[in-house]
Amino acid sequence: MKTAADLKCGDKVTINGVNIEHPSAKRILEVGFTPGQEIELVNKSVFDDPIAISVRGTVIALRKSDADCIIIS
Amino acid sequence: MTPKPFADNLFITLVGPPNSGKTTLFNYFSGKNYKTVNYPGATVDSAIANLQKKFNINASLMDSPGIVSLYPETADEVIAVNHLYKHPKLGKPDLVIVTVDSSQLSRHLYLAKQIIDSNFNVIIALTMVDILEQKGFEVDEEKLSELIDCKVFKVDGRSGKGTDNLLSFINANKNGFKKKPLQNNNSANNNTDDVLLLYKEIELIEDNCLIEIENNKNINLKKANKQLNLITNKIAKKKCNQIDARTVKIDKVLLHSTWGLVFFFLIMSFTFTSIFWFAQPIMNFVSYIFQSLSDEFLTLAGNNLFGMFLANGIVNGVGSVAIFIPQILILFLILGLLEDSGYLARGAMLIDKPLSKIGLNGKSFVPMLSGFACAIPAMMAARTIPNRRERLLTIFILPLLSCSARLPVYTLLLAFLFPGDKAWIAGIVLAAIYLFSIISSVLVAAIINKLNNKVINAEDNSSFILELPAYRKPEIKVVAINMWHSGKLYLQKAGPIILVLSIFIWFFTSFPNFDPEINTDNIKQEQIHELKDSERLATSYAADFGKIIQPLMTPLGLDWRVGVALISAFTAREVFVSSMALIFKVTDSNGSLMESMLGAMKNSKIGNSEQKLFTPSSIIGIIIFFMFALQCLSTIAISRKETGSWRIPLLQLIIFSGLAYFLSFVAVNGLRFFGLS
Repeated sequence: MKTAADLKCGDKVTINGVNIEHPSAKRILEVGFTPGQEIELVNKSVFDDPIAISVRGTVIALRKSDADCIIIS
Repeated sequence: MTPKPFADNLFITLVGPPNSGKTTLFNYFSGKNYKTVNYPGATVDSAIANLQKKFNINASLMDSPGIVSLYPETADEVIAVNHLYKHPKLGKPDLVIVTVDSSQLSRHLYLAKQIIDSNFNVIIALTMVDILEQKGFEVDEEKLSELIDCKVFKVDGRSGKGTDNLLSFINANKNGFKKKPLQNNNSANNNTDDVLLLYKEIELIEDNCLIEIENNKNINLKKANKQLNLITNKIAKKKCNQIDARTVKIDKVLLHSTWGLVFFFLIMSFTFTSIFWFAQPIMNFVSYIFQSLSDEFLTLAGNNLFGMFLANGIVNGVGSVAIFIPQILILFLILGLLEDSGYLARGAMLIDKPLSKIGLNGKSFVPMLSGFACAIPAMMAARTIPNRRERLLTIFILPLLSCSARLPVYTLLLAFLFPGDKAWIAGIVLAAIYLFSIISSVLVAAIINKLNNKVINAEDNSSFILELPAYRKPEIKVVAINMWHSGKLYLQKAGPIILVLSIFIWFFTSFPNFDPEINTDNIKQEQIHELKDSERLATSYAADFGKIIQPLMTPLGLDWRVGVALISAFTAREVFVSSMALIFKVTDSNGSLMESMLGAMKNSKIGNSEQKLFTPSSIIGIIIFFMFALQCLSTIAISRKETGSWRIPLLQLIIFSGLAYFLSFVAVNGLRFFGLS
């Protein structure tokens, strides 16, 4: 199962689902990462983590461990 | 302080997601009528102001921390939501203005819809309309108003454009805002399915009110809307969700694996050096002013009880602290600029990985940065950290960061160590002290993190989710006004304590033997004053107390006089300088307040011996003491408040002050062992 944490810079994908067992799932959904949304990994931080993903017209920085609950395929 | 309620006084609350232009709108509406204010970089509490008189509406306005939804996850969000439902003093709002960034409509309407569904009287203020227009879109506000069931106005908080419509609507309806019973929200009832359902609803609304501007000249909105079929609608949506291309480009550099770090260190070094360099000339000026004032009072009132009370007790006591206000203001200014430009969020992101290794969070960055101004706003800023354990650990180490109250102490002591032409070394040593305060706080965090749950017992999910707002040119005017108010508020809090303590210390160092009898044969008038001063102090209450603490001071190479200053500094660190000014200052001399203090320090000896009190090693000892000791009543109080118990503040007090004494002892005796006096 591929998640947003596996994305490379410039990858554009559509969210397939969100793992609601993940402790950050609710906040991830609330900030706009809902199934069907197109997201793009626009930047990575100095240490490759956290990553910056664009969604719904803005950019959200999140740790890979948080991005892990965004399922993309 | 809350505004007086009028018969027709409205209570309006401003709510909105982070970066939605809420505070800009708040500043526009309230002008300078601040009642409470948030420190730069840390909108973590609600702020109250009166609506400006020129708007002709009697209203109290509340600004609150940004929230993503009505179901809070962090301490600042809890405050925002609680104060929205019921402000502790002003109660339920008559009206809620929700700011919605129109360039990210669906994300921001999410919160607006939740608030409308909870039965509040809501007006939506659509912000950043120009950004959406640049993308080729605009919002049909009438359609949106109809679909979401509340009034919608396009506004620009920077220029005030569009706010007149909003205000005249409020004015026309000010008697018609009836308080309906509110829908209580319970987190347990809100699950991920509800989030998805609400977003579905919002997306439908968005599809129907977002319209593409066909061309700039001739816009036929209704027609354009009808012509959009499903496919073009999808393409259109992609286009309107585009992010600011310039921001992405800048981030490619500022988040780059090497350049990102280089710029991070450059920006941080600039911040700290400018505190020192820019403030220095202003500080010299303030120092000079207070010395002149003090001299003036002595000349006017004469060398009697009243004159000395004014000159020493009040002017010098307060003045020695007022000197460092420029530094606080400059730090607030830079923090405000960094926040307004959008860099603070990047800084937090950059440093998240290393900080998470030692049990902290990227969101500890802003609190730690504020910690260089003052631990009080810093501990409050830690509210944004969702994980309780990380939040407590952040609060725990904050007193180690070199706050601005320590600056006057260091400035005085370093000026003593490196006088005149060696002053540039003082700048470097000060930078080293700052750097060391970062290192020591990181080390302490790492150790406590290793000790695991013995010190901080809390555990939950660690996460880092933070919006990176588009870069923009900071608004100097807004930042400067905020800096001014933060500085004023800071003074109002610290000022009375300093004034009271100055009077207190003046009393204890001047009585009971205010007019001591001395042998005045064959000595000049000036020497009589000096002799009287030292005799008065030697027989004072402070001296009696000092003799009790002398055994504690001797191992540090100090005497009871420094001991009294150190103890008084436990109320607030900067009091050390005013106490020193009162204890050591010889009243009449030329030059600035600082110069005459340094001169007096140079001449002081331990007891009746010929051994100098202030030597390089004893000064270094005092500096080290100040680097670690938790000497601030307000910090202890706020630590108690923010952590919810006495456990952490008491641990901080004991561990840090114990460490301070121990390290200072080791340093002084080590240096003396190796031959430094």
